[in-house]
Amino acid sequence: MAGLAAAFGSGAMTNAVSELELSDTIFIIGSNTATSHPLVATRIFRAIENGGKVIVADPRKNQIADFAELYIQHNLGTDVALLNGMMRVILDKNLQDDTFIAENTEAFQAFKDALDDFSVEEASQITGVSVADIETLATLYAEAGSASIVYCMGITQHTTGVDNVKSLANLAMLTGNIGKLGSGVNPLRGQNNVQGACDMGALPNVYTGYQPVTLGPANKKFAQAWGVDELPSNIGLTLPEMLSGIEKDEVKALWIMGENPVVSDPDANHVVKALEKVELLIVQDIFLTPTAKLADVVLPGTSFAEKDGTFANTERRVTRVRKAVDPVGDSKPDWEIIQDISNRFGFEMTYTSPQEIFDEIASLTPSYAGISYDRLEGPGLQWPCPTKEHPGTPFLHKDGKFTRGKGLFHAIGHKPPNEVVDDEYPFWMTTGRVYAHYHTGTMTRNSESLDFEVREGFLEMNPADAKTLDVCDGSQVKMASRRGEILTKIMITERVSPGLVFMPFHFEEANVNKLTNPAFDPIAKIPEFKVCAVKLEKA
Amino acid sequence: MIDRVKEKINELLSEGSVKGVVALVTANGHVAPCLFQKGDDLDTLCLGDTEKSGDARYPLNRVLCTIARQYPDDVFGVLVRGCDERGLYGLYRLNQLEPDKVVPIGIPCPESLAQACECKKPYPDDIVAGEKFEGISQQGVEDMDNKDLSTRFSFWMDQFSKCVKCYGCRNICPMCFCRECSLECEDLVSKGDLPVDIPVFHLTRAMHMADRCIDCGLCEEACPSDIPLRLLYKKTAEIMNTEFGFTSGINKNEKSPLSLMGPAPEK
Repeated sequence: MAGLAAAFGSGAMTNAVSELELSDTIFIIGSNTATSHPLVATRIFRAIENGGKVIVADPRKNQIADFAELYIQHNLGTDVALLNGMMRVILDKNLQDDTFIAENTEAFQAFKDALDDFSVEEASQITGVSVADIETLATLYAEAGSASIVYCMGITQHTTGVDNVKSLANLAMLTGNIGKLGSGVNPLRGQNNVQGACDMGALPNVYTGYQPVTLGPANKKFAQAWGVDELPSNIGLTLPEMLSGIEKDEVKALWIMGENPVVSDPDANHVVKALEKVELLIVQDIFLTPTAKLADVVLPGTSFAEKDGTFANTERRVTRVRKAVDPVGDSKPDWEIIQDISNRFGFEMTYTSPQEIFDEIASLTPSYAGISYDRLEGPGLQWPCPTKEHPGTPFLHKDGKFTRGKGLFHAIGHKPPNEVVDDEYPFWMTTGRVYAHYHTGTMTRNSESLDFEVREGFLEMNPADAKTLDVCDGSQVKMASRRGEILTKIMITERVSPGLVFMPFHFEEANVNKLTNPAFDPIAKIPEFKVCAVKLEKA
Repeated sequence: MIDRVKEKINELLSEGSVKGVVALVTANGHVAPCLFQKGDDLDTLCLGDTEKSGDARYPLNRVLCTIARQYPDDVFGVLVRGCDERGLYGLYRLNQLEPDKVVPIGIPCPESLAQACECKKPYPDDIVAGEKFEGISQQGVEDMDNKDLSTRFSFWMDQFSKCVKCYGCRNICPMCFCRECSLECEDLVSKGDLPVDIPVFHLTRAMHMADRCIDCGLCEEACPSDIPLRLLYKKTAEIMNTEFGFTSGINKNEKSPLSLMGPAPEK
């Protein structure tokens, strides 16, 4: 999100999901779309039926790769090199959109200069993808009438996550494939409301609608609305900073809402130590997660079916959610819990409904200003929606008019992952999701029918590696990184190339995040879940 | 048409001949199934017209089966199109509903919907209101039959490869009610993981639906991968008709040839 915000001025999907049907070329990188975002995959399948082409780049082969005009399996953590290689080809073949670049962007020259001493051959050597394939990828993307990029955590969960995203933004701007119907840069968000949570300022540096806490006018506006003299203008802590803050005794209490870091965060053993150390741990969730089990106080929240409110989905669409059943047991909607606690701390909150809170959101958030409950009947509205009459915005940056003014090119070079394979830890390991489960399985593993499909974790391994290790499908192996070790069953598959293993992270019993690397991107602070080095032995 | 439907439902509810009526409601800008009971406001009742006439449909018989299991002694009305009525006949035959506990409120489909569905009988036997249009020939099946085997084979394999194993086709089907589903039998279909076993997953379901499918097309509407399931099931139904002279739900009291033991029936 930080990468796109820096390049375009807005960190969300630039297009509506349905517009993907209209794309001539869709470039999918670091997204297992059919498994993780099946309804986005629907639109991609339709694009193919409409004569569009799909190109897929992923170190691990996924379902949608079978439908690709070209699928390439690049080495882990080499996205920038791949994208720079593609852009080298585009410039060499003069396929860039000079008019778009001249009229709508800035810092192009510096970007171009930085690419000068980078060759396609070099890209090929770093990524393990042939020069011919890099050329085909580049041409299919650049020569399309309308091209879209679709990406997900395979791009962002790296120490170079922001660089990866900025490179995708470069690629789109270079070819003018942004700000058009069916053409743009589209990060897919996982949770139904993760976009909404970000929109609401559930980030350490912004208020609602990405208004920076460091800017005076926003501070003043919120202080006035909340009836206080002033609000802090310092940036808060990110999750990894909170955990290290606990170690340094700078963080005394932690209130976790709807997160399960014991399973979802890298270097899980270390996370557990931190959570055990913190003086007061409060966990608010709908189930007693492994994280909640460590808590001093558990606050029971409510599920989607037990509350009213709104969700904002991956395409910036704000829709209503309506209570179908009363909250179970002692549980309460999150806003009521927060209000109760605020009142006990002496800051009075007297909201009577989610609608009242929404009206406040609209009054303080320019991109939501035109949205109100009465306009959310039916399919909802896509922000920005600045006025009551505004119809919402299906795609951003129309006609090259970027949210930040001009689109900003960034000169970016390839950096290797934080941890690379060596003699002791010779296998590359990457993580992701599998069919039937979401994230730490807090919800999906509590569903009988989803649990039926996939009951336990497994490690995907290439047949050649299985042969070397003398293991067969279903065997147990011991997998260790510098941070921990786990036992897991293996699945032999050619989805992964020799030397690379993949494991889903939904399963606390074989928690792959005990192994993953907590090194994080310097800007977005997102950990490098997607790359670490491991060793394997027959168990 | 809708006024006559509301009048009929009002009549049934106020005279107490039904405990409730399963129909459609417009609420919050959406169409949804709804159980209307005595005293309920019928103003929001709708026939599922959003952008086009009858384009928002639900498996109301499935909702009815759920309610009927909870209240086995009560009589319920249900809004039915031609396919839904075929469904009721099938559900009577399969002992999922009792005919004397159901009062169908029949409406015919508009021509546009009948065309889009290539529906053989786009109207129920008993019509409360509306004008009926005649059946449409199965052009889609014929077009597919005219292609050669390898084209057909690769077409279907490509289509099945898109499956994300959401079970939406089964979950929305008004004729699916088995407690144990063949699709979850590991001897037939391996569980977990994508892509799903093809073509086993889809053909298992097609075989299982052979004497049940009433060609409502909800499976195809629900499919997030746009797999043309309806075409597959239409072909299966055609084979049933050619081989056994049987069409699911066309005749009220007809037994399925697949539930008879003995020599092949006379054609």
